[in-house]
Amino acid sequence: MSDDNDFLRVTDVSKWYGDEKVLEDVSFEMDRGDVTVLIGPSGSGKSTMLRCVNRLAEAQEGSILLDGEEVLSPDLDVDELRREVGMVFQGFNLFAHLTAVGNVALGPRRVLGLSETEARERAEAQLERVGLGEQFDSYPAELSGGQQQRVGIARALAMEPKLMLFDEPTSALDPELIGEVLEVMHGLVDEGMTMLVVTHEMSFAREVADEIVFLDDGRVVERGPPEQLFDRPEEERTGRFLERIASHD
Amino acid sequence: MSDPGTLALAAAASAAVEIPTGDGLATLAFIGESADWDFVFSNADYLGVGALLTIGLTIASILLGFVVGFPAGAVEVYGDGLLKRVVSTVGIVLRGTPIVVILIVMYFVVGVPQINLGVASISSAMTAGILGLGLRSAAYQSQIFRATLSSVDEGQLEAGRSIGLSRFEAVRYVVVPQALRRSIPGFQNEFTIVLKDTSIVFAIGLAELLTRGYDLFSEQTTAVLEVILFISAIYFVLTFTTNRALDYLGDHYAIPEGESA
Repeated sequence: MSDDNDFLRVTDVSKWYGDEKVLEDVSFEMDRGDVTVLIGPSGSGKSTMLRCVNRLAEAQEGSILLDGEEVLSPDLDVDELRREVGMVFQGFNLFAHLTAVGNVALGPRRVLGLSETEARERAEAQLERVGLGEQFDSYPAELSGGQQQRVGIARALAMEPKLMLFDEPTSALDPELIGEVLEVMHGLVDEGMTMLVVTHEMSFAREVADEIVFLDDGRVVERGPPEQLFDRPEEERTGRFLERIASHD
Repeated sequence: MSDPGTLALAAAASAAVEIPTGDGLATLAFIGESADWDFVFSNADYLGVGALLTIGLTIASILLGFVVGFPAGAVEVYGDGLLKRVVSTVGIVLRGTPIVVILIVMYFVVGVPQINLGVASISSAMTAGILGLGLRSAAYQSQIFRATLSSVDEGQLEAGRSIGLSRFEAVRYVVVPQALRRSIPGFQNEFTIVLKDTSIVFAIGLAELLTRGYDLFSEQTTAVLEVILFISAIYFVLTFTTNRALDYLGDHYAIPEGESA
């Protein structure tokens, strides 16, 4: 355990794909209950950075301390880590052969070892939490994109994670379905969930983020509270990126 | 003996069997001498024993093929190093060897023993037949499973890992159930092929359906057509019913399709 000031401490993280350096000395910190939003152009490395935190991608250099434990240590039990760090994917990645309840219950049943009944109860409670009380037995293909993503969030929440990672959770959604997903995420912020979010939803970021980290070319260009970063960016690159994004809104 | 049901079957089978004759297929439908049909039906029990042997060989070979072929396919997808190379090489050799050669090697070269099960014993020819057909089927089934395992989207495995499942568990609970469902169409083909290839065990002296048919029309040479039609009907009924059963299984366990990511 560590004090709340460095619940997640990312220090000088670098990563290469072959010869190409995709992350260079990335550093930022989060307190417990914080919401940090990673923004940046596509290919800037923000999703890769996110995936390094639960080791779906391997950083080659640097340090990621989560609750005082070194995530990048070769001795770390990655399954144990992922039990405590929930992840929501851009493409939902729901288990296609399982119903909504089946998707959410799989982790509690197989990873946490709950009984069939307990796992199902927990899954139903989580689905109700994301507003899907009517869709327990629907298969992913029978749900809208927004509903699928909410199942994805419920699946991660069912493990009772201490940190939630969101990898562009609304990017694959039709515009009219984005709201319902953001609403669920808003609810989590209100409950005090610690969240690291990659997104292009700037108004959402402005509303909920404690800190915005702007990445470009694998490097942190600028970071700070939303009102500072959005309204008075210090770096020219940040300003240009924000203008480009705004012109698409 | 010549009840309408059996005759209808014989007639249905005739459409699927090509017989080298100057006559058109239409005249084949009810062809045959009643004396020869009588001969066939009076020996129906003799052919029936052959059919049972065919069914037994098919089931045992398909099961052996699954038990060996599924792990082999998984090794080809998820394994690495020496094991993967050995599995894939053995598969290539088995698929590249005529089944009659595999059977002869099993029976005459390897010389598998008789297996005693207490209540019954399996002759060494039967054992060789099951091993030969079963391992060859394993080599083909491994390719069905290799293809369907790798067809499951990478994101499925990743999502499984993200909730803390180990690699093995994620494959077991997330990928395999989807891959097995997708394997059913390939499995239908494989079943039909194994069923028909059981006839080749004549090479090691097993009297299955076709061999017994051969025995019969050697005895009454005018009855060739009738015997062939009769046993074809049996093969047809066997492949038709299993394929329908597998269709049902496929529909029943189908994963709802849609715009799922």
